[in-house]
Amino acid sequence: MTAVTIGRPARKRGVGFNADTSLGVLLVAPIGITMATLVFYPMGRTLWDSLHRVNPMQAGAPFVGLDNYTRMLSDGMLATTWANTLIYVALAVITETVFGVLAAALINQVKVGRQWILAAVILPWALPGVVNSVIWLWIYQPGAGLLNGILSALGLPFDNHVWFNDRTSAIIAVTVVHVWRMMPLTIVIVLAAMQSIPSHLYEAARIDGATRTQMFCLITIPLVRSAIAVAMTNATVNAFNLFDEAWVLAGSSLETRPILVQIYLETFQNLHFSYGMALSVVITFASLLVSLIYVLRVYHNTRFD
Amino acid sequence: MRRIILSLLASGALAIALPALAQESKPLAGASITVLMPSPQRADIAAEFEDETGIHVDLQTLSWDDIRSRLVTALVAETPPADVTEFDWSWTGQFSAAEWYMPLNDVIDAETIRDIGVAKIFTVDGKLLGIPYTNDFRVMLVNKKHFADAGIAQMPKTLDELVAAAKQIKAKGISTYPVGLPLSATEGASTSWYLLTKAFGGELFDKDFNPLFTKPDSAGYKALAFELMLLNQGLVDPASTGLKDIQINESLFAQGLTSIMISGEPGRLSQMNDPNRSLVAGQIQAILVPTESGETRSFGLPEALAIPKVSANKEAAIAFVNWFTSKEYQKKNLANGFLPTRTSALSELNAEGKLQSGDVLVAQSKSAGALFPQGTPPWYPQFSSGVNTAINSAAKGEMTVEQAVESIAEAAKRAMAQ
Repeated sequence: MTAVTIGRPARKRGVGFNADTSLGVLLVAPIGITMATLVFYPMGRTLWDSLHRVNPMQAGAPFVGLDNYTRMLSDGMLATTWANTLIYVALAVITETVFGVLAAALINQVKVGRQWILAAVILPWALPGVVNSVIWLWIYQPGAGLLNGILSALGLPFDNHVWFNDRTSAIIAVTVVHVWRMMPLTIVIVLAAMQSIPSHLYEAARIDGATRTQMFCLITIPLVRSAIAVAMTNATVNAFNLFDEAWVLAGSSLETRPILVQIYLETFQNLHFSYGMALSVVITFASLLVSLIYVLRVYHNTRFD
Repeated sequence: MRRIILSLLASGALAIALPALAQESKPLAGASITVLMPSPQRADIAAEFEDETGIHVDLQTLSWDDIRSRLVTALVAETPPADVTEFDWSWTGQFSAAEWYMPLNDVIDAETIRDIGVAKIFTVDGKLLGIPYTNDFRVMLVNKKHFADAGIAQMPKTLDELVAAAKQIKAKGISTYPVGLPLSATEGASTSWYLLTKAFGGELFDKDFNPLFTKPDSAGYKALAFELMLLNQGLVDPASTGLKDIQINESLFAQGLTSIMISGEPGRLSQMNDPNRSLVAGQIQAILVPTESGETRSFGLPEALAIPKVSANKEAAIAFVNWFTSKEYQKKNLANGFLPTRTSALSELNAEGKLQSGDVLVAQSKSAGALFPQGTPPWYPQFSSGVNTAINSAAKGEMTVEQAVESIAEAAKRAMAQ
């Protein structure tokens, strides 16, 4: 009898492993259902459809295996858009990270009115991408544009310069607009991490005679590395997804065309839906892979525990 | 007394009968439809149509370049983008293959179809998919004041004369960039190249869709070389690599900054000569497209109204298409820049002297054949995108003429293969 009693402990309502599990499941359910219906199902369906021929101009949707993926290897225009995208990613991630960290460090030094500076810094990020791009389109205008006006006022020969007639300057012009929009997010993430660094670490360093540069390099940077990794992941994914800036500033021009514009053209102009899906799958995995590399490298080295 | 009672009774009967009669003349009164068309459109379309038919119209307008993706996303999802939509000539092959639109042969009277000659561009395998409402073809628009100020008495008939006139206008300082030519990666750059290919006496493809523009002595090759020559000699604004045709029309030509619109739209004449909408009112006229030989050529780019198969209000939609393409409305719609597609409306307007540069337009329309006599192929949008992308790259100096035409041929080959 005793054994039976020990084997079946008395259960209190709302307490214990099962109750915790139920509560946990209940709390996770909304996000689980949302992710399943709005993220995982569409992703799975996209992956599955990319293995078929989905084209409204052709009857049926036969299974074509990896045809849509192998076709990418012989698509010359796609190669150019991949090159453009990788340049955007490299330029945007480096610029956003370097200048974002420096800007965060600068704002961190400000004691009075920091919230106002932060609000002003965040503004480009809060504006829709198209609005930002249209503003910059006016700045880059060949005739009456602000940029040419400033350069001409400095006595430089930029009176009627067309920034998008040269591939290098066009790529840089698009990247600047993207960085202008996304860098505030890097600043916010890194600034939050900087503000959580205990001040006694700096005091100790100061007593030991460390300079400001040494404190920045040996205390600040190591302790915000995980935040930088998060910011870089975000910057990478956003740079892979660059669309608004390139589309508004240069349309479908091949010299500035990123992969997402190519996907849009293949899907909605040429009606090659399954090819567009295959391209979407590849770009998703590419951005995840790149993000994963530095998240694993940077985050792994900076865990407090 | 009896008379008074009788007249009262008669008035009462009439009062009851009149709404019923009105109802009978408006059998679809109370119905509601959505219409999706390119901007700009007359503001009073919906009110006028509702007045006549009792059908409520929710008119939505988008820029021409944005309409197609809106249509495609909705139609692929088998939902109606609107009950009546824009249907461009260049979409005919693709949309016909996708079977998204209802054939209109049986719901539009035969007389209308006969009167609208360009309707055949929208006919695939005997199925009429759209009723053309704007008779767009290419003509050349010039600022006659600029020509007169430059001392040019004779309008150009050949391409050499055209270049000479542009140089003279530039030399006199009347216009910094006298020629308006879109070179951006948009449809306007493609259509300008097609027109110049025709002007050099050639076609894009043979009857089997083999490209005819890759050899240096071909018309397409010469057309692209001609465009780059205009650009390199400072006759075309270098910023044209980022401008759509509508932007060149409105921000350069209508402002008096350019003198010649190579690929002009006849419907713009009334807008350009309207003092409320243009700084060059009274100065713009159409001339026949100059060519290498001197014998004008052009091609048609009509736009139609069509009804998606998934529309839930087909009867009311048909009523709208009939009303919008009627002779009376087409004549009225000329003021908004839409040249009538009905031959009868065009002739009447010209006879009444209401058609600006009427004789030129009538003459040019006779030379405006279909760009693809075999029917617009389903791969046209992909081909056209390849065309304007290559032209844009060549204009920026990223490609030579030879590389650009090879790239266009490759785009055509790839488009046909898929």
